[in-house]
Amino acid sequence: MIELKDIHVTFNKGTPLETPALRGVDFKVPTGQFVTVIGSNGAGKSTSLNVLAGIVPVERGTVTLGGEDITNWPVHKRARMISRVFQDPKIGTCEDLTILENFALAHGRTAPRGIRFAIERSMRAATAERVKVLGLGLENRLDDKVGLLSGGQRQAVSLLMATTGQSSVLLLDEHTAALDPKTADFVLETTRTIVERLGLTAVMVTHSMAQALSTGERTVMFHRGKIIFDASGKERAGMKVEDLLHLFKKTQGEELSDDNLLLG
Amino acid sequence: MSLYELLGTLETGFVFGLVALGAYLTFRILDFPDLTVEGSFPLGAAVCAALIVTLGWNPWLATGVAAVAGFAAGWTTAYLNVRFNILHILAGILLAISLYSINLRIMGGPNEPLLGVDTVFDTFGGFGVAGYVISPIFLGAVTLTVLILINLFLHTGWGIAMRAAGANPSMAQANGINVGSMKLFGVGLANAMTALAGALFAQIFGAADAYMGIGVIIVGLASVIVGTSLLPSRTILQATLACIAGAVLYRFAVALALNADFLGLRASDVQLVTAVLVALALIGQVSGIGIKRFFKTSKPK
Repeated sequence: MIELKDIHVTFNKGTPLETPALRGVDFKVPTGQFVTVIGSNGAGKSTSLNVLAGIVPVERGTVTLGGEDITNWPVHKRARMISRVFQDPKIGTCEDLTILENFALAHGRTAPRGIRFAIERSMRAATAERVKVLGLGLENRLDDKVGLLSGGQRQAVSLLMATTGQSSVLLLDEHTAALDPKTADFVLETTRTIVERLGLTAVMVTHSMAQALSTGERTVMFHRGKIIFDASGKERAGMKVEDLLHLFKKTQGEELSDDNLLLG
Repeated sequence: MSLYELLGTLETGFVFGLVALGAYLTFRILDFPDLTVEGSFPLGAAVCAALIVTLGWNPWLATGVAAVAGFAAGWTTAYLNVRFNILHILAGILLAISLYSINLRIMGGPNEPLLGVDTVFDTFGGFGVAGYVISPIFLGAVTLTVLILINLFLHTGWGIAMRAAGANPSMAQANGINVGSMKLFGVGLANAMTALAGALFAQIFGAADAYMGIGVIIVGLASVIVGTSLLPSRTILQATLACIAGAVLYRFAVALALNADFLGLRASDVQLVTAVLVALALIGQVSGIGIKRFFKTSKPK
């Protein structure tokens, strides 16, 4: 289980640009649950993900994983248990390295790196087997630099890399937002399959309400640094985007500022 | 150009090949513009000379200790950057300045002559071949050995982690790589190579001098730019070979400037000639002119 307890984050603290990003967020994700996180721009959804990954330090509150306090762990240490797929496919992979070398890097996240050769014959075979399921023909291009791949191919590779090794938590930060609709659907479907097959605890931030309600088993909505809505089970199963908007207006007394994006 | 001059140019080219490999590691692999080399090159020379002359050490051991001293200098620069967030260029300048005073302390003065003492080159005295022939062969072998070791290292688990740390720090961190540690080790390693070059340079020319580091960063960078602009550099092996070739070419350009009376050039034109050479390499890089276009390059599939 991963948990955020009373998390407070303020950007540019002590300056005229001071902005509260998270205001006492309590967020608990049981092991094996797939949660989608929705919210308008500046709601705090990506900041929460960054707090979980260790990129944004907290002002107050604790982050625990499996009961262990990891609040002060640096990013690279957390990465052994919490893997991540970024919004930009270029960030999730290293374009100067080959597909195989990228997988070797991902392998080293949970296995010791050393001064042995990073790529062994067994790794080549195992990587070819893994990328084959994507159906993109990448198994024949393992020695190509990742910079030669398209955005969708890179994001698919990034997803497979993030699920390499023993990591138990997967963070997905709007990982289909920079892709064309067809590729986005493919990557999202691949995500669902992998998360289900590996039984991962997954948190997916999205800007699309439709995507949030159709993916995973629980949806959480952020607004102005707080969780304002948390639905799962039957309540969520019968919910449509219009219901969510109506609920938002009813509880917050205002319209969502970027409905078009959220409805996408 | 006489055979003696040719071999002398090769000799210096190979020494600066080590500096070029260091510059490649910091500038290209780690994306860490490191100016420490202006201090670590004379540091290597000073440590080596002081150990041989003052303490009577074995020259091989003294050369090894010089490389370790260079590693410490590079590590300190990276530590200032990683731990205290001091801008990498500024951290390098701070180290280079402080090393000037440290080198004066080590040598007990502005220079340390290596007269009447054994150097690593004297080891080959009994082979019956003239020293000016043996020296470039030995230095070529040293540079090639370092190149092979660097190539092997950059394909290990740590090596690809270092490449990722420089190319994409966010991705590297997300894959459990301690980017700071990679910088500490990488910048240290680059300066160890530079200090090794300094130690060998002092032994070739018979003295260590506190001012011998001036312009070393330009030589290192120019070698990387000239080499990787003119020659294929898609793979690590190609790029590192190109760096050494760039260093040798650079020395030939300097030799040309010093010897081309028939072109109306004077010895004082050396900086102009080298600057033109680097500019031409950069122009070639932008416009696609150069030997590179004769090699097959991969295209996006």
